[in-house]
Formats: sequence, C-alpha cells, structure tokens
Amino acid sequence: MHYSPVITNADIAAKDENLHLFQYVEDPKQCEIDTFVSRGGYKAWKKVLDSISREDLIETIKKSGLRGRGGAGFPTGLKWSFVPKDSPKARYLCCNADESEPGTCKDRVIMERDPHSIIEGMAIGSYAIGCHLMFIYIRGEFTHCIEKMEKAMEEAYAKGHLGKNIYGSGYDLDMIVHTGGGAYICGEETALLNSIEGERGQSRMRPPFPAIEGLYACPTIVNNVESLAAVPHIINRGAEWYASLGTEKSKGTKLFSLSGHVNRPGNFEVPLGFNLKDMIYSPDYGGGMLGDVPLKGVIPGGASTPMLLPDMIDVALDYESLQEKDSMLGSGAIIVFNENTCIVWVIKKLIHFFRHESCGKCTPCREGTGWLEQMINRIEAGQGQTGDLEKIEEVCGNILGRTICPLGDAAVMPIQSALRLYRDEWQYHIDHKKCMVKSNFEFK
Amino acid sequence: MILTERSITKIKEKAVRYPRKKSAILPALTVAYRQVGHVDEEIYKEISKIIDVPMVEIAEAATFYTMFPKKPRGKYLLQVCNNISCALRGSDSMIQHLENKLDIKLGETTADNKFSLIAVECLGSCSTAPMVQVNLDYHENLDAQKLDTLIDDLKAKKD
Amino acid sequence: MSEAVKKEQPNVSVPTVTFTIDGQSVTVPKGTTVLQAARDIGIHIPTFCWHPQLKSVGACRMCYVEVEKMPKLMVSCMLDAMEGMVVYTNSDQVRQGRKAVIEFILINHPLDCPTCDKGGECDLQNLTFAHGFDDSRYDFKKYRFKEDDMTTTFDDKKIGPEIMLNRNRCILCYKCVRANKNAFGEYDLGAFERGNITQIDAVPGGEVNNPFSGNLVEICPVGALTNSDWRYKIRVWLTQTTPSICNFTSSGTNCTFYKEDHQNKIFRVTSRENESIDNGWIPDITRYGYQIINSPDRLQTPLIRKDGKQVKATWDEAIDYIAKKYTEIKESVGGVCIGGLISPSLDNRSLYSFSKMIRTVCKSNNIDFRGDYRMLPSSPDSPFGVLRSQPFSISAIDDSDVIVSFGSDLIHEHPNEYLRIRKAYNNTNPKIYSIMPYAVKSADVANIEYVYNPGTDESAVNAICLAAIEENVVDSALANDYLKKVLPSTLKDAVALCGLDEKDLRVLARSIADGKNITFLIGEIVTRSKSRDAISAALLNMNKLFGISSKGQISILARYANSKGAEKLGLLPDPIAPIKEILKKNFNGYPESEPRNTDEMMAHIRKEEIKGLFVFGSNPMMLYPDKEFIKESLDKLDFLVACDLFETETTESADVVLPLSGWAEYEGDYINLESICQTAKQAVKPNTDSKPAFEIIRLIAEKLEKSNFDSESLDKELADCLAVNTVIQFPDDFIEMKPQTEEIIDEYTLPIFIIDDAHHSGYLTEKSPSLNNFSAEAYLMMSEELAAKNNMKNGDSIRVESIVSKVILPVKISQSLDSDVLLVPRNFQSSPVTSLFMRKRRVDRVKISKVDA
Ligand SMILES: Cc1cc2nc3c(=O)[nH]c(=O)nc-3n(C[C@H](O)[C@H](O)[C@H](O)COP(=O)(O)O)c2cc1C
Ligand code: SF4
Ligand code: FES
Repeated sequence: MHYSPVITNADIAAKDENLHLFQYVEDPKQCEIDTFVSRGGYKAWKKVLDSISREDLIETIKKSGLRGRGGAGFPTGLKWSFVPKDSPKARYLCCNADESEPGTCKDRVIMERDPHSIIEGMAIGSYAIGCHLMFIYIRGEFTHCIEKMEKAMEEAYAKGHLGKNIYGSGYDLDMIVHTGGGAYICGEETALLNSIEGERGQSRMRPPFPAIEGLYACPTIVNNVESLAAVPHIINRGAEWYASLGTEKSKGTKLFSLSGHVNRPGNFEVPLGFNLKDMIYSPDYGGGMLGDVPLKGVIPGGASTPMLLPDMIDVALDYESLQEKDSMLGSGAIIVFNENTCIVWVIKKLIHFFRHESCGKCTPCREGTGWLEQMINRIEAGQGQTGDLEKIEEVCGNILGRTICPLGDAAVMPIQSALRLYRDEWQYHIDHKKCMVKSNFEFK
Repeated sequence: MILTERSITKIKEKAVRYPRKKSAILPALTVAYRQVGHVDEEIYKEISKIIDVPMVEIAEAATFYTMFPKKPRGKYLLQVCNNISCALRGSDSMIQHLENKLDIKLGETTADNKFSLIAVECLGSCSTAPMVQVNLDYHENLDAQKLDTLIDDLKAKKD
Repeated sequence: MSEAVKKEQPNVSVPTVTFTIDGQSVTVPKGTTVLQAARDIGIHIPTFCWHPQLKSVGACRMCYVEVEKMPKLMVSCMLDAMEGMVVYTNSDQVRQGRKAVIEFILINHPLDCPTCDKGGECDLQNLTFAHGFDDSRYDFKKYRFKEDDMTTTFDDKKIGPEIMLNRNRCILCYKCVRANKNAFGEYDLGAFERGNITQIDAVPGGEVNNPFSGNLVEICPVGALTNSDWRYKIRVWLTQTTPSICNFTSSGTNCTFYKEDHQNKIFRVTSRENESIDNGWIPDITRYGYQIINSPDRLQTPLIRKDGKQVKATWDEAIDYIAKKYTEIKESVGGVCIGGLISPSLDNRSLYSFSKMIRTVCKSNNIDFRGDYRMLPSSPDSPFGVLRSQPFSISAIDDSDVIVSFGSDLIHEHPNEYLRIRKAYNNTNPKIYSIMPYAVKSADVANIEYVYNPGTDESAVNAICLAAIEENVVDSALANDYLKKVLPSTLKDAVALCGLDEKDLRVLARSIADGKNITFLIGEIVTRSKSRDAISAALLNMNKLFGISSKGQISILARYANSKGAEKLGLLPDPIAPIKEILKKNFNGYPESEPRNTDEMMAHIRKEEIKGLFVFGSNPMMLYPDKEFIKESLDKLDFLVACDLFETETTESADVVLPLSGWAEYEGDYINLESICQTAKQAVKPNTDSKPAFEIIRLIAEKLEKSNFDSESLDKELADCLAVNTVIQFPDDFIEMKPQTEEIIDEYTLPIFIIDDAHHSGYLTEKSPSLNNFSAEAYLMMSEELAAKNNMKNGDSIRVESIVSKVILPVKISQSLDSDVLLVPRNFQSSPVTSLFMRKRRVDRVKISKVDA
C-alpha cells in the first residue's frame, strides 16, 4: 500500500468531529470499502436515493454555504442549479482531480487515503443534476491515486453503490476514471472537458457555460475533489452543521497545503478563517520557519495568487479576508519563502511554469507569457535593462483580463504583486546586475 | 504491431465505456506509453486503427501533453520537479547532484540507456519536496542519502 | 432561398434584440454576435481567427470591443448581442487592446514581408499598418522553426502537393485546421505541441492533399500557408481580377481569375463567395483547373489531314476544307449522313449554335452532348428524363431535415454539394443517409451508410419502399397500390437481393416518411448505368409512395458545367416538346430525321449511314465505355472534324482538328445544376490561335452560305429556349418493374466502377500541373481487405482483365472502401481504362492478378 509521506493533521482531526475530511485519512484501511462503510460511508448516498428530491438536495448544498475548493470558490449548490431541468440531453459530472497548481497537493491525499468519500460525493452530485455517467479526471502522473480510485470504483460497483438500479431505487450511475497526460491547463474546467473529449486540452470560451453546454455539448458540472468529498458529510450532518463551521461568508473547513520554508510542510484541514500566521508558526501545523530564517513572503493560494509580505500574514484564511489583502484563497496552497530567497528567482520559476503550461490558443497568453519569461530570465541573470520593469508591467496589463481562461491572469497576478511588494529588490537586480540575496537552497 | 494483444484489449475495454470514440485517445495513449515507453508515429497509427479515430487527432492530442515522448528514453526516467515548492527545498541542487552522480546533463540519457534525467513541472508533491518520479513511482522528502540509495539500488537492479 | 434574402425579411416569429454599436441602434435576431451585427451595418471589426463559415473560438483576441458596464474588453466574435447593450468598436481602450494583440503576434513573426507571397493581401500586414506600433519593443531573439538548418533562411516546408508551410509566419489562428476538419471533413492537417511552440503541420508521415486543400491557403490570414502554384510568380498588386465560374463543377462554383494584362496570363484562381452556391469554398479542381489554359500542350493552329498526316493549316484553309468535304459527302451520300457530338461544358452560345448547325445545315437529329454515358435512352420523358429534369437547389440543403444521397460519390462528383451537406451536418444536424453500391468517403456525415450489392440498384430502392410499407409509415392505399402494381414482394426478399440490412432500411424508411423538408439527390451511379431507366422508375415509384417531391426535392443532379444548358438548348437528339417548338420557330422548321444518341450514332456510322461527324470539345474515345467500339466506329467515318483544347485520341483520328478556346478566354454563359445562368467573363485573350466553338461554327456556317450565326442572333434565339420550364411532370401512376439480372461470366467476378479522381474532372484537367501534383496517373482503387486477400500492396502493378480488354494499373488502397469492388479513374490518357468497360453491361466485372516484377 503506497502512501505519500505527507504530514497531515489527522491526529487532531480524529479528535475533532468537525474536521470531517481528514478524520480517517491516516488509517490505511479507510481505502477499503468495508471500513469506509462501517464508518458511515455511502450512508448519505443511500439517503439521497431513498428520500431526497433533487431540488431539496441542491437546496441543502446551497444552504450549507459550500464553495468550490478548486480555486474560484463558486457556491457549489448554485452551480448545480444552473443545469437546465428540462434539457433532453444527457448530463455529466466531472470531478476535477487534475491538481497541478504549484503548491497544491491536497486532493491527492483524499484520493490516496479516502477514495470512497470522493465517489460518494460524486454520486450525490450526479443525482442532483440528473447525471448517469460521471467522470473523475485525474492527472496522469498520479499513478497511485489512479490505482486507488480505480480499485475503489470497482469495489463500489461490486457492492452496488454504482451501476444499474442502485439500492433498488431505479437510479443508474456509471463512473469512468479518466487520466490526464501532463498538462496543468486541463485543470481548467473547459480544457478538462476538451481533454475528456479527446481534443487537445485547450480552454473554451464561455459562454456557453459548461452547466449549459459542456462535455459532448451536454450540461456538465465540474467540481473539485475536495468540494465533492465534503458533500456526503453535509447530507449526513445537515447544512446547518456545515454552515456553522468557518466564517460568516466562508463556511466549512478547507484543506491547506503548506510547502516551502517551514519545518512541517504538509496538508492540514482547518475551518475557514484559520489564521495564516498560526498555520505557519503553530507547532501543530507549519511548526515555524525552517532553520529559523525569517520569513520573506507567502503565496497564500497556489502559484497563481498574489503574494503577501510578512506584515500581512496575520490574516484569516478565508475568501474575503485574503481578498482584502489583494490576494486570493485559491486552492489553499500556502507557499512560504524565507529571506534567503530572491524574489526574481521565485517569479522566474513561476513564469516558466505558466509559459510552459499555456495551451497556445489565445494570443496574449501564448505570446505574452513567453515574452515575460524572457524578460524575467534576463533580469535574474543580471542583464536587466532600464525600462524592463515598466515593460513587464505593461505586458502583464495586456494579458490580464484579456484571455480565454484565467491562466493568463494566473500567470501575471503573482508577477504584478511581486513588482508591487518587492519593487526595490527588482530595481536592485537591474541596477546591480545581480541578486540581492542568492537563492541557493542546499540539497543535503 | 507494436502494441501487444493485452494493450489492445485494455484500450478496447476502456474505449467502449465512453459515449464518443474520440474520448478513448488519452486512455489509449496512456496504455501505449506504459507498454512501450514512448509514443511515436507508428503507435499513433495503431491507436488510430484500434479506436477508429483519424491519426491526426491522436497525434495532435499526444503532442499536446508532456507525458507521451516521441522518442524512447532510458529504462528509468528520473523526473525531478523543479517548480517553486520543490525549488525552495533545493531541487536545483538536487538536479546538479543527479547530473554529477549519473554523469549526464539534464535532458540526457546515460550511455547504458539506464537513466534519463529531466526536469518537470509541479507533480503535486509540494509538501513532500524535493521529489523525483522514477517511471511511475514517486520518491518524496528526499535528501542526498535517500537519493543516493535510490539510484544505487536502481543501478544494481538486474533487468 | 438564399440566406441573404432571408435576412432582409426577418421572420416575425424570430425574437430580436436591439442594442447600440458606436451610437447606431441596431436590431438583430437573438443569437447574432456583436461582430456579425457590426459587419451587417458596415462597421468593420478586425479579426484573425474568425471565419463566417466556422464556429467562433475567440482565440486571436483581435476583435475586442468595449461594452458599457462590462469591466473587461470583450471579444465580439463570441459575444451575443443583448438587449440594451452599448458597444464601442473603436474606443481608446479597444484600440489599445488591438495594438497589444498585434504586438504579441509580431514578437515571433519574421517580418519578411518583402519576400512573402501574402504581401499586399495579408491581414497581419494590413492590421499592423492600421493598428500596430511602428517599432518593436521586443528585444530578444525571435523563436525560429528550422533555425538549425543553415541551408534555408526561411522555414519552408512542403506539407502537401500544392501547399508550403512557413511556421514562423503562422499566427496560430487555427483557421486552417478548423476548416479542414469541420468544413471539409479532412484529417490530414493538425496542430501539434502546445503553447508558443505550437505548430501547424501535415499529419505525421502524410501530406495535405485533400480535394479542398487550396482553401486552407486562401483563408490563412498570413503567409504561413502559400500555394506552390502562386509562390514567387507575381505580386498580387500587379494582377487584375476577373469574375468567373468553374468549368469542372456542375454547380458553377464562383471564382476569381487573377491575370496579368501584359503577359495575357492567368496566375491563379481564388474563391468568389456566392452564398447560394458555394459558401466561399472552392474545390481544388476549380482552383487549379485554370492551368490548362496556360498549358504549352494546347493545340496551336488548325490541322488538316493530308496523305494520312495532320499538317498545320490556317483557319481559312481549314474552314474551306471542311466546307468542301461536307458538301462532297452531302452530295455523294445524301440523306442524313452527318452527326454531331459536343461537350456539356461549353457555353450556351456554343451549344446552341452547334444544335443550329446540325439541325439547320445538316438537317439532322444526330446530335448528343452525352459522350460518356453508356446505352443512352433517347426519349426525354423516360423515367430517367423525368427525374433528371427535376429542379434542385443547393441552399435548400441548409434547411433540410432529411438528406439522402443515392448513387453518388459526392466528393468526386459534387464537391460543393458535399460541403453544403457537411455544413448542415455541423449546424442543424439533419438526418443524412448515403446509399451506394460501394462505400464512399462522403458518407462520413451520414447517420447510416447503405452499401448494396453492385447492380441491384432497383432492389435497393424497392427495399426502402417495402420497408416503409411494412413499417406502416406510408399511405395504406398507396402501399396497396404499390404492392399490386409494382412488386408483390416482401422486404425480406428485396433485402436478399440487394444485401442491405433490414433494420437499417426501416430506419431510413421512417426518416423519409417523417421528413418535413427532404433533399434526395441522385448521382452518377444511376446516370452512367445502362439500366438508368429501370432504376429511375424504381425511384419514381418511391417518390410517389413517400411523396418526397411534395416536401422537398428529388433530382438526378447534372454533372457538367452546362449539362442543364445543353438540355434546355436542344442538344439532346429528341428534346422535349416545348423546346422543340421553339427550335422549330427559330430554325424555320425542324429536321424530320430519326433522333440518334451517341450510341446510335456510332451504330449508324458502322452501318456507313453516317459518314461525317463533328466532335466539339468531347473525347468519346476516352470517356465512353467500350473504347474499341468507338475507335472502330470513328475509323469508319469518311470525315471527322474534332475541335478541342488539346490533342486527344479523338483528334488523332480526325481529318480536321481545330483549336478550341478555353472558358477563360471568352465570355460565356452556363446554366448550373440549379438551372441558374451564370457568366464566366473573359479573363485573357485566347493564348493560341484558338476560337470559341460558336465562332468556329459561325465560320463554317457562313462558308456554307448560312446566316444568323452571329452572336446577337444566337443570343436572341437561345433566350427563348432558356425561358422554357423544362421540368417534366411526375407520372400519375406507379411504374411496373421488370426484374433485371445480369449473369457473371466465368472468373470475371469483381465489380469495377469508373470514377473521377478527386482532383480531376473529365479528360482536360490532366493538363493542369498542379492537379497532377495530387494525382497524375490512373490506379486501381481497392479496400484494405481486398488488397490483403490478394496479397497486394499500395503501388503494386496489377493486371486488370475484363472480357474485352486488359490494362495494368498500380494499386491504391482506399480507407473508405470496404467491400469487394474496384474503382478506376477515367481521367488519364496514359491509362485508357474505358477499354475495360462494355456498353452493354450493367456492371462491369473483371479479374485481377499481380504483375510479376
Ligand atoms: C489554469 C487553471 C487550472 C486549474 N486547475 C485546477 C485543478 O487542478 N483542480 C481543480 O479542482 N480546479 C482547477 N481549476 C479550477 C477549475 O477551472 C474549476 O473552477 C473547478 O474545478 C471547479 O470546481 P469547484 O467549483 O469545486 O472549485 C483550474 C483553473 C484554472 C484557470
Ligand atoms: S497556418 Fe495560417 S490559417 Fe493556419 S493557424 Fe497559422 S496563420 Fe492560421
Ligand atoms: S476574431 Fe474574435 S477572437 Fe479572433
């Protein structure tokens, strides 16, 4: 049995009933269907099929305040309600398990350690929109997750949680585990649909929105793994319970992937609104800065979110509070870097990623990311020229909000924030043709 | 035929589950890659026949993704994540370490065709950085000692 | 009805929205994009990736507009107009947005305009001029494809017989790939890799050689795709354009000729959109067919046979000689001893004057324009004639909910109609069915493809009728009548004969019965069959049973540029009565003689009753089945006048050969398969000492002291013919069917069919070098299975033997064929495949064997 050696706060979760996503993740047996069922698994699915109408189900999810955990934070129940009720077409549900945003490694933990909870959530979501064939799109590199999900799916079929006439309800539901081929963009929902269709994984313009015209031009819902995994718990324990967790507007719990220069990088489930500073410094979580080198900055929500300076980290991890700091909760991937880190070097890594992952469909993103990468590489290499920063800002401005999908925005937002927050360091780089600090992270 | 009966059966089994033929492209490429280790024109052609989709569509999809290299690589493909979280944890110097140890540069294959070394984008192992994916397997939370053992074990492995 | 007309009278029931563009209030049907709405009122929004015939993808981001209350710039090609919207197409923000897009596009663009063939008509060049910066802010080395190859300064990659690709110039608008796949259904071009190194290329290991490939070059907004034909020959601004129409398609594809006046030379042909006909796509035969005009092989001067050899002569000598010989024959033999064969690709004036000459000078009804159909019927109101006369509209395909193609290899015979059906397939998703004796690629849009046993065409039609009767989806009185008068049979029996699937037939029968707006088109399998009347009768019965003609259209499509004109202008041996009436009036009388079609003329030549023959623009030796028969017949003639652009086997036998002008060298009118008259303007002066047919006929007639052969007289007379409604009423009753069978002789078992190569039409296009780059020699096309069964590979030399003849042909394996039939193209003089065929057989059968090396 393979497990990623990632640190989790499962020990805390085991004692805290509210931390439902991680309650059993450290128990290898949780992957097995019998254990899962003995702990109340598939109870929600049965309850839904037995006694809950589609409308009530959607209403419950709406009331729970669950918002998408894939990055955009769109209310899940509301999204489900967009699927036309009277469309004669088939409907599809796709669970987004592409998890490729640098810094993010949370969905992987659920897939590896609690795969049935995802299947159950997907099933309930499918029922809510009238879908009879659901997909989970797992990034191709996640071999072990794929194996776990496939095995779980087979078990679920074998035990009658999937297939024809489930629990005698007359409801049929099939599932396909679809695996990616190595492309970050396929996590973007329309590119994901193209990828399932066998097209190149390029994004599509919206409208039409997937809920109206998605997979095979049929109404389709795309939800993140974590969003769906929360659904059975909401059914079992009620919308009010879920809504009581978290903050006024950001309800429930969320998984955060903590990485970079902390002592205990790992995945932690906390109620939304948890303090970022605590996340980094509390011994139960990040355990403080690696080697006690002082903090230089934090990327709070995955590679595509704007950065925070050390004096900004006393902030609640929820959608609104981070927005107030001109940043975003994103996928909840907190990347921490210390004072030995050159900001231009960080941005170089990031822009390389976005340039490499641009799908190549729309002009600003395809050409702009390439141009930005060259300018940033040049500065990093100590060959920056006067005017480069202004040019970078202008190019960023010509990409932001001008592309088909948010990848363009994702590529420029960290750059813009780094330019805003660390302007002096950039200037130093250009003026002195070298780093202020040398990011030479030893590998020992 | 390069694809074995087993691969073909697997592809067909997967293909029938989808509402449209073209959806079988990625599953088919994955099966083919796992069998052969790379995916080239000949294999596009075979897949095209098996799933009855024009070859150009297979090639277009295959080249879009990074996981289906056109040329064969070493027996062990070492994929080092060199994105931000791993880089903060020293993946740059881990690459150097591997280059020295294997006496190849990034992107190259050892003379005995045993190891290929490439840098890849984030593999979702950010909290367990640095890491290297060897073929299908993740090796995480690496330090020099663990990495050396890993490589030495692979070196010692007989085919 | 064309769409343009539709737009002018918006259907009141269509909901509309009213909004503002640049201060102008506009009302458009709901679902109209802002881009389209702006174009409709003459506001030009620049675009790269948008194409009127393709689904918008919003990739290039050039078509930005600013919309009040929307924070970001919006791409107008994918923005539906909404009630009350306020749109600006030229605000500061919009201009800034465009400028940024141009800047992005140019960072890796080579800026090699001086050596780029797109120069002068390049969207990027023009839009950069209009919207771009005047300097580059990009100070890095540009990304270069093929940089490592020091022998070339450009990335010139040949990706197809006529297409060169320069990836550095490509701006990744993806129009080419989208058009190729969606509009043409072709899979030989793709986009590979991703991000900023994405590249367009031919399918790995293959080339872009589909019959519509030239369009890709035309829609490329930059010089990334250029055609070899046009490259480095002339700058576009030095050319003049002439509107013309295609001489190789029966729809009369609209196109534009580019010529250079001083050189009197045509340099290329592009589309000239006519929505009701071609939607702006032209097949490669239209695009490259013009090259035959420039061919050095053109007949240069008249030739007269002297002492067995053809020698050069002046026009005067030739015409004198014709007049002299003609008079001699007339006087010595007497009676109706002259005949005429003419090509249905010639213009109205030529056709009409030919009819006038044969009928008034020769006093003969020995006249025909169908030099390629075996054993023709002579009666115009035969079942075939009735179906053939039915009206047909290309644009009506757009609104059809059921489209059936019977006996037509559409891509080869009717490329425009195929694209039209494809458009419907993409847009409105009608039910489409293809019914053929062998599988064809054009069936790729069909819901079901029906392949019946060769030679059982009527049974296949009957099976559809019987399926409808058994499914109870047609009027029961009619059904009873059908069973009584036509065929007291069961579906099972019919199926046993034709080999179609019963279940599939029931689906088809239901669809036709339920169809509200049906297009049922019939092709060359029927027209070329010796049993065309029997098949047509079956189709007429079907029409009656289902009432197809009352809810749509059913017609045998005309195949040549002016087939319809030839029918209307009396080029049939026995035209329908109203046409005859007009001819009688125009000619002051009408010949009494027997009407004789091509086949009958040949028979009478052999009986030495016909001694002289005029052949204008036709080559029966190559096109008519039974080559030997035709050759022997022509050899028996006392006097043969052959008029053509090139030397052919027919001109070789002639006593006088006259060089004919091509359709681009004079102005002519042509009636397309929809019975629409279109004009091909004169693009260049005749290249050789050639003349149009009507001019030649005038000279001959005048020499024989006949008048009124001048253009004005002809035009006046022929106008009356064109005004006649030539549609023949459907018969009231069902037509009785006689079973037709054909024995298989000995080991000659494999059915073989004549086709046109997808890049050729008739025998002339062989003189177009570009078209030959796609395909330059005959082949024996077979399915993969048949090849495997016989242990044959692509390119193997195969001996093909019929009872009468044998030829050797290389194998060409077809991906679409899947049954045991063979196809051979008739377009290549070097392999006269018609020698394998017999006039009197319905389905020709052959045996094949490998020629040992
Ligand atoms: C470039 C890009 C990459 C994305 N990658 C992922 C991903 O890996 N996983 C994910 O769940 N959502 C990802 N998203 C967000 C999805 O588009 C989509 O919003 C999400 O899956 C919806 O699910 P949710 O509502 O449950 O969050 C990505 C978005 C963009 C623009
Ligand atoms: S080759 Fe021309 S048509 Fe094709 S994507 Fe490039 S620019 Fe567009
Ligand atoms: S024309 Fe609208 S994005 Fe290209």
